[in-house]
Amino acid sequence: MAVLTQDAREGAARGLFSPAMSKWLDRLIFLLLLGSFLFVVLLPFYWIVLSSFTPKSELFTTPPRYWFSNLTFDNYRALADNVPLFRYMLNSLIFALGSSAVSVAAAFLASYALARLNFRGANLVFAAFVVSIALPQIGTLVPLFELFKNLNLINTHHGLILLMSSLMTPFTVWILVPFLRQIPFEIEEAAVVDGARLHQVLWQIVLPMMRPALATLFIINFIISWNELLYPLVFAQRQRTLSVGLVQLAVQPTAGGGRPWDLLSAMSVTMIVPVLILVLLFQRLIVAGLTRGALKG
Amino acid sequence: MVSTTARAGDRGAFERPTPRLSRRSKRTLTILALLAPAVGLRLFTAVYPYVQAIQLSFYDYNPAFPPKRWVGLGNYERALDDVVIRTSISFTILFVVASTVLQIVLGLGVALLLNRAFFGRGLVRAINLIPWAIPMVVVAVGFRWMLDPQYGIFNDLLDRTLGVNIAWLIKYWPSRIAVIGTNVWKSTPFLAIVFLAALQAIPQDTIEASRVDGANRVQSFFGITLPLLMPQVVVIGLFMLVWQLASFDLIFAMTGGGPGYATQVLAYSIYQVAFTGLNYGYASAVSMILFAVVAVTSAVMLFIFRRVEVTL
Repeated sequence: MAVLTQDAREGAARGLFSPAMSKWLDRLIFLLLLGSFLFVVLLPFYWIVLSSFTPKSELFTTPPRYWFSNLTFDNYRALADNVPLFRYMLNSLIFALGSSAVSVAAAFLASYALARLNFRGANLVFAAFVVSIALPQIGTLVPLFELFKNLNLINTHHGLILLMSSLMTPFTVWILVPFLRQIPFEIEEAAVVDGARLHQVLWQIVLPMMRPALATLFIINFIISWNELLYPLVFAQRQRTLSVGLVQLAVQPTAGGGRPWDLLSAMSVTMIVPVLILVLLFQRLIVAGLTRGALKG
Repeated sequence: MVSTTARAGDRGAFERPTPRLSRRSKRTLTILALLAPAVGLRLFTAVYPYVQAIQLSFYDYNPAFPPKRWVGLGNYERALDDVVIRTSISFTILFVVASTVLQIVLGLGVALLLNRAFFGRGLVRAINLIPWAIPMVVVAVGFRWMLDPQYGIFNDLLDRTLGVNIAWLIKYWPSRIAVIGTNVWKSTPFLAIVFLAALQAIPQDTIEASRVDGANRVQSFFGITLPLLMPQVVVIGLFMLVWQLASFDLIFAMTGGGPGYATQVLAYSIYQVAFTGLNYGYASAVSMILFAVVAVTSAVMLFIFRRVEVTL
């Protein structure tokens, strides 16, 4: 709190406030800012959760309810009656687990080649991966749709997983390559001298050392694909994920133009809970993963 | 990104001499095998579709009426005359620039706030991750519900504090402000995370020294902290510019481009032309326009990156 006392001294020097007063004022402004930050971040979140547990009859009242009054699970029950919720969850789970597994595995192998087996053009390949992050996904949809129709990949889990893991691979490589370069090289070298083959080195030495990084990227990629809309929307109308189900419920025309906010809020909460658990459990890992990519690019 | 090339020679150890293949070609095969899955995925779902899309953009093609018809630059001429496309290009640019500027300014503010020591900081930092982690579709639906003129909490709060009630998603500028605001809410925390990590890497002595020399908090921020954060601000700012040019989820789930075409963005126009209008050739041409905007922005970005690296 050296900064604080510094301010206090300044305030005293200027003769405006006593040091204690200045320190107190500094504290107050800080708490006000922090409070408004928390309010802005949490309000939408609170509102969705609150709505999902509010009886439908009380949802459409003016002024709206601010607190939990008659807690009810009716909206969740109605949701399960109206949409195949379990099916959507299962589809989302398969899609997210599969995509993160494939993207992390493919990126791991490629990053090893790029970071360790120095070859001519390695920097070029790495740059191509990074540049391809910028290619808008939307531009690929029409040709991919035609191609997937011919290959019978529409409405399949593996087709979707191929698309999504490919989308996340460049970003994963981008984070893994600098990470691999930081890991000391000597252990692998010793193993090679002792006669280990490449697959043994990868599996028994590199993989264990990279486990935290790979786990982090798996979590980040899981969250990204759990949240993904565009690919499932276009390529898997019959294998709907939660995101597609939610959007369908939100945009479909209804009698009178009103929206089923009871169902929408319950479905939103259902979709948020898994990512929220991951964020609370792995906050440090996620932040480390995101910032390594952002800082060491 | 560019480092260690000193180890180039000593990788040969992985290969044993075999009668058939030389060490060199075996090494090449190993590298190819390791790169194959990742490169294969990108060729399959990014390079191939883009090459196809370039070709398709010169045809009139409706998948319901198969034969493709060559129209040359017809689709591009049509796009430049199309009011919807022109509106979506201008709103996309407004949306992206306004969002990015606000995200940077607010992200810096949040980072400075969370960089101070206080009780419960870990929890607050976890809360800061929530908007980043939850799906854009949930954010879009949630804000739409909050902004409901009749039953939404946001309008009720506005009414109570300022006495105004705005039909956010029904009017032209309010709807534009609403989608930009929602987008800023969603992504500001991500920028704050990045800036916070950069802040923590700045030695505290540097800032304290400036304060001892008599700089006040504002002066030391603009004189010391901000210049040191500049590389991150430029990198992440340009990254957000490029990345948000292709925004789709938010508009699709929140406004559907409306009211009228007020919040129409390019990515959503492409989706509609392709999958509602079944106009594959035209959709591909508009995709190429989006790609051109992204490419120009990226080129500027790479140019500035070099500049930043030099001035560091």
